[in-house]
This record gives sequence, C-alpha cells and structure tokens, in this order.
Amino acid sequence: MIILLWQALDNLRIWPEYLFPSPLKVLESLVEGFGNRTFPIAIGISLKRILMGYGVSILLGCFLGILINKFRIINDTIGSLILGLQTLPSICWLPLSLLWFGLNEKAIIFVAIMGAIFSITIAADSSIKNIPPLYLKVGRNMGARKFSLLFRVIMPAALPYFIPGLKQGWSFAWRSLMAGELLFVNLGLGYLLMVGRELNDMSQVIAVMLVIATISIAIDKLFFGRIEAGIRKRWGLKA
Amino acid sequence: MNNGSVYLKLENVSKHFHSSNGCLPVLEDINLEIKENEFVCIIGPSGCGKTTLLNITANLEPATSGTVLYKDKPLTFAGPDRLVIFQELGLFPWLTVQKNVEFGLKIKKMQARQRKKIADQYLRMVNLIKFKDFFIHELSGGMKQRVALARALAMDPEMLLMDEPFATLDAQTRDLLHQELQKIWHDTKKTILFVTHNVREAVCLGDRVIVLSAQPARIKTIFNINLPRPRQIESHGLMELVRPIMEELKPEIEKVTRINHE
Repeated sequence: MIILLWQALDNLRIWPEYLFPSPLKVLESLVEGFGNRTFPIAIGISLKRILMGYGVSILLGCFLGILINKFRIINDTIGSLILGLQTLPSICWLPLSLLWFGLNEKAIIFVAIMGAIFSITIAADSSIKNIPPLYLKVGRNMGARKFSLLFRVIMPAALPYFIPGLKQGWSFAWRSLMAGELLFVNLGLGYLLMVGRELNDMSQVIAVMLVIATISIAIDKLFFGRIEAGIRKRWGLKA
Repeated sequence: MNNGSVYLKLENVSKHFHSSNGCLPVLEDINLEIKENEFVCIIGPSGCGKTTLLNITANLEPATSGTVLYKDKPLTFAGPDRLVIFQELGLFPWLTVQKNVEFGLKIKKMQARQRKKIADQYLRMVNLIKFKDFFIHELSGGMKQRVALARALAMDPEMLLMDEPFATLDAQTRDLLHQELQKIWHDTKKTILFVTHNVREAVCLGDRVIVLSAQPARIKTIFNINLPRPRQIESHGLMELVRPIMEELKPEIEKVTRINHE
C-alpha cells in the first residue's frame, strides 16, 4: 500500500529523481548491494559490534543494577549519577571514546555500550524492586541464600518487569551504534549510509535505511517476541 | 495423649508495633509449647496477631520480648526445618508444578534424579501427578494449595507452619483438603501449627485449639480435642465441641468490631 503510494508520488515527478528515487530503483540498489556483498558484509560488521556492545551492557548493567538495589550507599552515589548520565545522548560519548581507545573497533563498541547500559541498569534495579516480597520470603524459608536466592528467585521473578528495559536498551544501543558508524567512518551499515550520501546515491541511502529498520524489527519480533511469549505462557499474562 | 519431645516453646513472648500513633501491642505474654507430631490450631478474630505469632515462630520477624526456643535452642533463621505455607502461598509462576515442588531440593543441591523421585512421591500424595507439567496459573485454588503442601513436604521439614491456607477456598474444596491434610499428617508425622479463623476447621484438624483474645492477643483458652480421627467436619461430636469455642471467641470478635468502629 505504502509502496504503491510511493510509486504514485514518484510518477508525479514533483522532486528530481536523485532526491526521490522510485521503489524500483531502491529495490535495484538492494539487489545490487546484496549481490556484490557490500550489504551482507556491512550487516555482519554492525551485528558483530551490536552483539558485543549489547552483551557487555547487559552483563554490566545487571551487575550495576543489582548492586544499586542491594546497597543503599551505592544507590545514593552511583544511582543518581546513572540517572543523570542516562539523559545524555550516547553519541556524546564518541569524542571521549575516541580519545580513550583511538580510531578503532573498541571505540565504537564503547559507544554502543554506553547507549544501553544505563537504561539496563535502571531497569534491573526497578524490576527487582517490583518483585512481590512474598517470593523472597518463600525463597529464604526454603533455604535459598545470597546467590541461590539471586539466581533462583530474584532473577526469574524480576524478568517480566525487566524485559521492557532490555528492549529499550537494545534500541538505544542500536541507535548509538548507527550514529557512531555515521560519524566515525569505519565500515558497517552507518558507514554505507555515508557512502551513499557522498556518492549522491539516494536509492542506496534509502535501501540501507530499509535494511537498518528491518534488522531492528526482526530482532524485536524474533528475539524479544519469543522471550515475551514464553513469559506470558508461564505467568499466564494476557497478550 | 502425646508424649513426644517439645519442639517449639514460646515463653512470655510479646510483640509491639511502633507507629506514628505510638506503640501498638499486638501479642502479649504468649506461653505455648508444641510437641513433636502435634497438630495445634490457633484461632482468633481477624487481625488479632495470629499471623504475627506464626511469623515469630518461623523467625520471619523478631519478638519484642520473650524467648522462642526450638528444640531447646534459640531460634536460628527460618530454615527448611520449619516451613511456612503462607496464606497467599507464593508459588513461583515461572516454574512448572513439578519444578516448584523440586525448588527446595534444588537449593539443597540434590541430584536431578533424586529430586524427581521425591517430587513424584509428594505430587502423588496430593493427587496432582497428572498436572506436574502445568504452570501455576493454570491450576484451581485447591490445586495450588496442594502444590504448596507438596512443595513444603518435599523438603521433609520437622514442622509445618500454616497461615490460614484454606481461607480463600470454597467450602467443598476446603472439606476435601481437610481430609487430605489429616491423612498426610497421619502418614508423615509432621508437627503442624495451623492458624485459622474458622472454628470448625480448627476443631476438625487440631489436637489442641488455642483461642487468642483480641488486641493485644493473649492466650485466652486452650481446648483439647479428643475426637477420633479421621474427623468429618459435619459430624455431631465435632459440632458439639465447636459451640463452646465459639462462645469463647464471640466476645473477642465483638471487641475487634467495636475497636475498628471507634
């Protein structure tokens, strides 16, 4: 439907072809990009970066979130700092990251980490606060202490409340990575966008944008969608 | 009738809650001994501190004064030797029925095969073996009670502390569970402290029924129930014992109503 409308608009010839390519042209760019393997390579590089960045921010974010939840003093100090840092757009970390790590892979992954880590930390903390105290009482009464309580009661009980934060973290990480790749030119999908701009190839720009959006949707539906469906089935929550 | 050793001993136990309106005495001067394999029911008007008393014996909250001894030793943390079945049960929604029953055994780091064997045994005892792969939200209220019971029994505790476990069930399910609990108690020889506000339930289940007064809760009267088991809740003999306990309880319920109106 949208594609038809797009084609119709294109046929009106309001804007010049190089600014407003037809769907067919974009499709051509897509086929070409996948054909000469520039797109798959760029996707692979970006996905590798996001997986590392997101993975690290989940681990660190959970760890920080648990600490903040557990220790009042950490909450009062780092807790409010994190709240402040979360409002900072993660791309603002790029200059710092470049100075720390130099022009390399680490710098760009660092930006992706910074994009996700704070929202994951906050989500971990608040999802633990959301656990009905009864589950903790029961867990302790059944002999769970410290780590067994954490892994067998607190984490599974917090998971339903944690998922939205995890999703938010994902989209923050993905956006920061794209922004980072745009500014700091070193392969990846964001870089392909910039190449398109430099070559004045509007159809490539739109093709890459479509690829980026498709990846986001696919991750959301396939990865998070499955986890959420699993939780709904177990807990008996409504869709 | 019961010559077992004393499991739980409460001496001059009091509990006060401090709030902005001052000090509210909840429990006062509770003295109580519970022997091995005894089934003791505590009864009192709602909100009188029954649950607080149970929490103190489970060591989930401290007493303000007095001593609580378990097997002649001061209470340690609420360990798996005294398991609580809470009013709202607290079954884990992320686990299946069987995994719920295995939970405590897993904490104990028991082998998977052994865990499964024990879980099977107790799920059979509470007639839930067919539902072992169900999730908690797929069960009825009575079935959830049974899971909670199986989960506690699987840990093989010395004592069960039950906090109005059947209060939210319909009468039919409750009667059925009374029968099952009596049988389980008979078969497993557990010591049970059972809190309820239902007099007939208390008489049906207990060796002794302890009536608490209202605000602050003191032990008002202790009734020994010497009816043969298994007991039927509608039986004539049981109803005759219910009446005097009702008489004891009535003024306390009225007292609570009066206080709440002021």
